[in-house]
Amino acid sequence: MINSARQQRLIDEAKALLKQGKVRWIIGFEAGSLKFTTTPLITADAGDTSRLVINSFIVNNLSNFLPELEGRIGIVAKGCDSRSIVSLIQDSKVRREDVVILAVPCSGLIDLAKVEQLIGKDRDEIDAISRKDDKVIVTLAGAKREFSISEALYDNCLACELPTPQEYDILLGEPILPSNEPAAGQKKLDELKKMSPEARWQFWKKELERCIRCYACRNACPACYCQRCFVEETEPQWLLPIPHWQDNLMFQITMDIHVAGRCTDCGECQRACPVNIPLRSLTKEMYDIVADLFHFKAGMDKEALPLMTHYEQEEAEDLIG
Amino acid sequence: MEQREDWEPKIVGFLCKWCSYAGADLAGTSRRKYPANIGIIKVPCSGRVDPLFILKALRLGFDGVLVSGCHPGECHYLTGNYRARRKFAITKKFLEYLGVDPRRLQGSWVSASEGDKFAHVVTEMTKQLKEIGANRLFADDK
Ligand code: SF4
Ligand code: SF4
Ligand code: SF4
Ligand code: FES
Repeated sequence: MINSARQQRLIDEAKALLKQGKVRWIIGFEAGSLKFTTTPLITADAGDTSRLVINSFIVNNLSNFLPELEGRIGIVAKGCDSRSIVSLIQDSKVRREDVVILAVPCSGLIDLAKVEQLIGKDRDEIDAISRKDDKVIVTLAGAKREFSISEALYDNCLACELPTPQEYDILLGEPILPSNEPAAGQKKLDELKKMSPEARWQFWKKELERCIRCYACRNACPACYCQRCFVEETEPQWLLPIPHWQDNLMFQITMDIHVAGRCTDCGECQRACPVNIPLRSLTKEMYDIVADLFHFKAGMDKEALPLMTHYEQEEAEDLIG
Repeated sequence: MEQREDWEPKIVGFLCKWCSYAGADLAGTSRRKYPANIGIIKVPCSGRVDPLFILKALRLGFDGVLVSGCHPGECHYLTGNYRARRKFAITKKFLEYLGVDPRRLQGSWVSASEGDKFAHVVTEMTKQLKEIGANRLFADDK
């Protein structure tokens, strides 16, 4: 099976990198303690590399850990993660020579919540979930059910623009082209845009009423790396720490503005949210605005200058009178 | 909530001190009439306008926010207004997506000699804000 072949290749490469002293750390994924999950594996010990996995549940954007570790790092990266790495390099948060990118051509991650909805059962009751071409196969009490990827993958994966990293040192497997289901990935945003402005504001008010301001979204985001975040500033104090919807919404809007031009639509913030606020319907819109106004897509072009450090003389002219 | 007959919109204007602020001054000294609805905050350059200023103003209940700087190519710091434009543009577009009436956030280029233009911008904006009514975006009662 292709997956296990490239998993073995990853293990061999990672082990060699550590043993030969070419890297100090390996960051990858290992099986999680719950079914159909993985958890980050960060290790300096070559013996641990046998635990590395590649499957349809390697959700975390591990580039988030790069600025925190000292020494050269070998990192497992899907397409979107590799874009975040490129973006971090452009922001001078990470040096290219300090990373060895172990690139995973990615055919999209399976959204467990969607699968649970599709079959109306909890993940504990599912025996197996596998991927075959453009189908997701769920085994339940011995019976197999097939779903299309547009039903079962994460929205951001359906809209993925770079499944295979462009920037890498070691490529694990054959390159994959974009799946071309962007319309399915855009559905939630399209629905919002059909609503009246008042209804849209009410929608976000309602959603952000549930926010508990745990900042998991911020902490999971590789583009959000300030040592001191504006939410913790006290002079001036932009926000009250109490999770009122007004401040919650202001926090989200500001975070989206701050990551504009660095957000790669990796989907991590939404996955991190413990109360399931549809954060991607915010971040993806900002991503689209930036693409539309400035023809800029984070981490796609390694020669590009960071969005907010430069400008064109003629752009967005109709917005200012 | 019912709007009172005599309600007047409140605008916060972030004006660059090298151009628009001087333009506003000129409008005043040359006795050009413009609505008293704007409260002005002087900034060293339009590039200083952090999107947080805009959000905070809306959060505090101001009905509109005006950001005004030197014309393209004329920024005292050469590029501040181009940088301001990127920040301003994404903020404006994003707020519109969220459901904020785009007329609540406006931008203009006003030089130190354009007192008339400044008066015109404020007059127009005040008129538009009267049409759309008070900012109740962050109010708790709905
Ligand atoms: S929200 Fe803004 S200030 Fe806070 S960490 Fe992210 S980028 Fe930095
Ligand atoms: S804002 Fe969300 S989708 Fe964008 S880079 Fe950060 S974690 Fe990923
Ligand atoms: S992860 Fe969710 S609940 Fe936590 S701060 Fe972010 S939006 Fe709020
Ligand atoms: S100095 Fe006026 S906009 Fe920069």
